[in-house]
Amino acid sequence: MIRLENVTKVYEGGTVAAYDVSLDISKGEFVFLVGASGSGKSTLIRLMLREEPVTRGKIWVAGKDITTLPRWKIPYLRRSVGVVFQDYKLLPNKTVAENVAFALEVLGRPPSVITDQVEQVLDLVGLADKGARYPRQLSGGEQQRVSVARSFVNRPPIMLCDEPTGNLDPKTSVGLMKLLDRINRTGTTVVMATHDHAIVDAMKRRVVALEHGKVTRDEETGRYEGALK
Amino acid sequence: MSRFLFLVKEALLSLRRNALIVAGAVLAVFISLSLAFGALVVNEILRINTLAWQEGVHVISFLKDPGVDGVPVDAHEALLAEVRSWEEVEEARYVDKTGAWLEYQELFASQEELLDIDPNVLPASIRIELVDIDTHAAIKSRLQQNVLVVREVTTAADSIEQLQNLSSVLNVLGLGMAVVLGLAAVVLIANTIRLAIYARRDEVSIMKLVGASNWFIRVPFLLEGMVEGVVGAALAVFAVWLGSTNLARAGSGFALFRLDVGNDWFFRWGVLFLIFGAVAGIIGSMLGLSRYLRDAESSGAEVPTGF
Repeated sequence: MIRLENVTKVYEGGTVAAYDVSLDISKGEFVFLVGASGSGKSTLIRLMLREEPVTRGKIWVAGKDITTLPRWKIPYLRRSVGVVFQDYKLLPNKTVAENVAFALEVLGRPPSVITDQVEQVLDLVGLADKGARYPRQLSGGEQQRVSVARSFVNRPPIMLCDEPTGNLDPKTSVGLMKLLDRINRTGTTVVMATHDHAIVDAMKRRVVALEHGKVTRDEETGRYEGALK
Repeated sequence: MSRFLFLVKEALLSLRRNALIVAGAVLAVFISLSLAFGALVVNEILRINTLAWQEGVHVISFLKDPGVDGVPVDAHEALLAEVRSWEEVEEARYVDKTGAWLEYQELFASQEELLDIDPNVLPASIRIELVDIDTHAAIKSRLQQNVLVVREVTTAADSIEQLQNLSSVLNVLGLGMAVVLGLAAVVLIANTIRLAIYARRDEVSIMKLVGASNWFIRVPFLLEGMVEGVVGAALAVFAVWLGSTNLARAGSGFALFRLDVGNDWFFRWGVLFLIFGAVAGIIGSMLGLSRYLRDAESSGAEVPTGF
């Protein structure tokens, strides 16, 4: 589903954020990218979304080489990949339902389909009664669930999550992870960058550890601990 | 279709939800286009007045008395008919000796000592108004060739030329000011809309992350810019029209200077200014958005040695 082949990313100024990273992520997998701040987790997510071009190497997402993707095709890539960020990235002037619907409007879905799908996904994330609220009227955990709803509303085959629990308390984080686990069980591939020990240890999923941009460990059912050796 | 309606709805919602920013942009358009439109109105007033001053008698041909020194009796009528047949001549009027004497009496009515003159002293004349004022020299020399009948030809050459020079200088100045202020309007509008978009740059980046194409993001902003431009321009046209109409009413007593431009002119230029406002708003939005729609292109630097 996702394949990174000798990917290197060096930012202007010489910071090496990823170095010779090779990874194969299969359909339906749940993969944690772990490591200290600055280890390159978020950069890998950004590279998979084509927010940044690679310096060297190749990345395939859903069978397509995205490193050579022309600029006008980038929106199409992003429509097939759901994204969740630590800071939620919700549109402040839109209600919860409008934020979720926006992902479908972009695809040009008819209004009746949009209304149905938004209702369903808000129900899935437990916010069926809060569709008319604005993001500022919700708690952090609720905002993150809106973000998950938006990224999942068009049923993308892949979800990329960059520290989605970073702003949440442990209890709310558990709730969010249960939601992501449910989504993963529908067959969606989930790649999540985190430095939340408890979550990684509890989930017992594949763990890819990064240090200074290099992969130092890749375990099928790993724990967080080894990452900071 | 539903997609387009969505984008229109987005633009309208955004106009409502960002009322303060929208008001700032409309104000910028209003101020700059008021100045540009005002300059055009002043230019039009000057044009109307210089045109009015250019109307009237341009060439006077004084004639020898008929029946004297071999001048045929019907020479005046013949010359008048000939002059009237010239295509450069708009109108030719014959003033006989009595007419000239009456005119003289009227002109110097306040100076009694000058009034007592023999009506025979003043010559008859043909007063000529030209189609194009530039032809006055040619007409003068053509008349002077008729030495048998024509005594002397005078033209308002100097004053005509001065008036023409003044008129073209004022025209260039007025249009120049309108163009400069119009360009300033585009820059001001672009800048204001850019600030408005800067305030919403996070929104733009979120839309991109969700997979919105650049055009999908751009259209509501362009519609917003267009609405702001049209509303600002409409307010500017209305304000200048109101000011100009009141000024014309106040100055209706001036005999020598016209201040009314006419509603036809206002309508024609008003529509053009609305279009200009719309285009300026769209261009402003395009310029303001371009930076935030650009994708990262640099693939970065080389890997440092020793990494």
